[in-house]
Amino acid sequence: MDISLIGFILVAAMMLMLVSGIWIALTLTGLAIIALLLIENSSIGLLLGTSSWSASTAWSLTALPLFIWMGEILFRTRLSEDLFQGLSPILAKLPGKLLHVNILSCGIFAAVSGSSAATAATIGRMTLPELKRRGYDESMAIGTLAGSGTLGLLIPPSIILIVYGVAAEVSITRLFLAGALPGIMLVGLFMSYTIVWSLLNKRSQVDEESETYTFADKIMALKKLLPIVLLIGGVLGSIYQGVATPTEAAALGVTGSLLLSMLTGSFTIAGFTQSVLGAVKSSCMLGLILVGAHFLTLAMGFVGLPNELAAWIAMQGLSSIELIIYLTFFFIILGCFLDGISVVVLTTSIVLPMVAQSGIDLIWFGIFLVLTVEMSQITPPVGFNLFVIQSLTGKNILYVAKAALPFFLMIAVAIIIITIFPDVALYLPSLMTRN
Amino acid sequence: MEKVRQLFYLASAWGAGLCLIAMTLLILSQIGARLIGVVIPSSEDFAGWLLSAIIFFGLAYTFNNGGHIRVTIALSRFSTRYRHLFEYINLSIGLLISGYLAFYTAYTVYESFVYSELTDTYLAVPIGLVQLPMAIGSTCLFIAMLDSLILMIAGYVPNYISAENNIDVEV
Repeated sequence: MDISLIGFILVAAMMLMLVSGIWIALTLTGLAIIALLLIENSSIGLLLGTSSWSASTAWSLTALPLFIWMGEILFRTRLSEDLFQGLSPILAKLPGKLLHVNILSCGIFAAVSGSSAATAATIGRMTLPELKRRGYDESMAIGTLAGSGTLGLLIPPSIILIVYGVAAEVSITRLFLAGALPGIMLVGLFMSYTIVWSLLNKRSQVDEESETYTFADKIMALKKLLPIVLLIGGVLGSIYQGVATPTEAAALGVTGSLLLSMLTGSFTIAGFTQSVLGAVKSSCMLGLILVGAHFLTLAMGFVGLPNELAAWIAMQGLSSIELIIYLTFFFIILGCFLDGISVVVLTTSIVLPMVAQSGIDLIWFGIFLVLTVEMSQITPPVGFNLFVIQSLTGKNILYVAKAALPFFLMIAVAIIIITIFPDVALYLPSLMTRN
Repeated sequence: MEKVRQLFYLASAWGAGLCLIAMTLLILSQIGARLIGVVIPSSEDFAGWLLSAIIFFGLAYTFNNGGHIRVTIALSRFSTRYRHLFEYINLSIGLLISGYLAFYTAYTVYESFVYSELTDTYLAVPIGLVQLPMAIGSTCLFIAMLDSLILMIAGYVPNYISAENNIDVEV
């Protein structure tokens, strides 16, 4: 059968299955079966069996449930309150004040939890009522939360980077190193925008904050931040220093979070049980998707579709910059209808050979991909952060999306920056090579 | 019957949960052992096998709790009657795919046992044994989907649908 016809059938089948609401993991497996049937492969079942086994036992993947569990434990501690109380006195001098607490709490929380929607929910539940009570502009309060909620995807340890690393077969340690600077840069962009906005809209901040903080207050505040800083420092530091693999660091992180919840008195048996079950649920969801994606990648290899696509793109004589521009728009559109994980696994199954062939670094591409996925988290109609904030505030999804638009544009700026200066992402991983 | 059903999903959840705890302890002891200069043989392989057990054991529980993600944007816009129809179609196709997965993962395990293959790791164990959770878990996913289909035919709303509807309030 002609390969473009196969491609057409597969795309049509994928759209039908996804739109009708078949579970994404099963859609991936189903598509792979259809693809192999079309090329009359005779050992589909055997391939499925062995592929499922190798996909679910990868050593690098063992970090995934552990980081998820760590986040689940921390969601049930007083961490979000501590961040709020710890950061407020320190940021009181910046124009925009508590709006920065929103951004930085999300950034820090993201660093330990790795999940975007859960970060926005946990921080938002804490900060939104406070900001409202003090008369902050509502659309900015929602916008900063929606935007910086997406930081969880990029700032290591990030679940989606692990998924990309496993699916694209690149080093997770390198990806974690590559994500650090762009993540910090993005926080900087969000904060800069908030400062500029606050200076331009002085009037709309009704409450010019009567609270002043003494030096002692600030020291107390720092004390509240200390445990979490130690936890992040320990987990990321041990990975970056090369003394622990991401998996080992994650196991230490789980232990550290349990200790932290015991020391702060928020540990309960019921909470522990829920954290295990929550981790099981997310891990199984992601695990089955990865099993499906692995099989789909295998099937695509048999069909030869990704190579054909790569050859076709090569014939068009696109420069890598042009390719990146097209891909950005493609991912944003795809992200309007699909969640981030699906975008990532579909990309690695089909587009990756094309990307590699045009000379784009796969580590860099991972960071780029995650940034576009971050954008898709705050674009309607399907944007998980929008859903979360909609349910937190009861606001219409379009209102939330509009509030998040400036932050959407800031992420776009970040994509432009890392495209012009790839070293923002690649400098830290390159240090590792030299050693 | 309800008791059996609850027990089934509880077993799926805790089968996976205990493997998660075991995997964490294994990795922690690997770190500890390295500090005192001892190497635990094949610990990375064992961690991988436990990971596979976590993923597959928990599938049924995750399904029943609306954890497996899908695109619901079209579904949520349909009228109740069409939505019902589509859920039947989805469950049937889901059963087909998960049944295929269950059959062939089980077949893979069966073959490993028949040829009494051993793992190529330092501590050689029968592959079939460590692969067993994969077959059990996929079969349980198939059973969970069948359970939901039967509930729907009997006129109830399956748990995964009600769990999905609660999801944005809960996160």
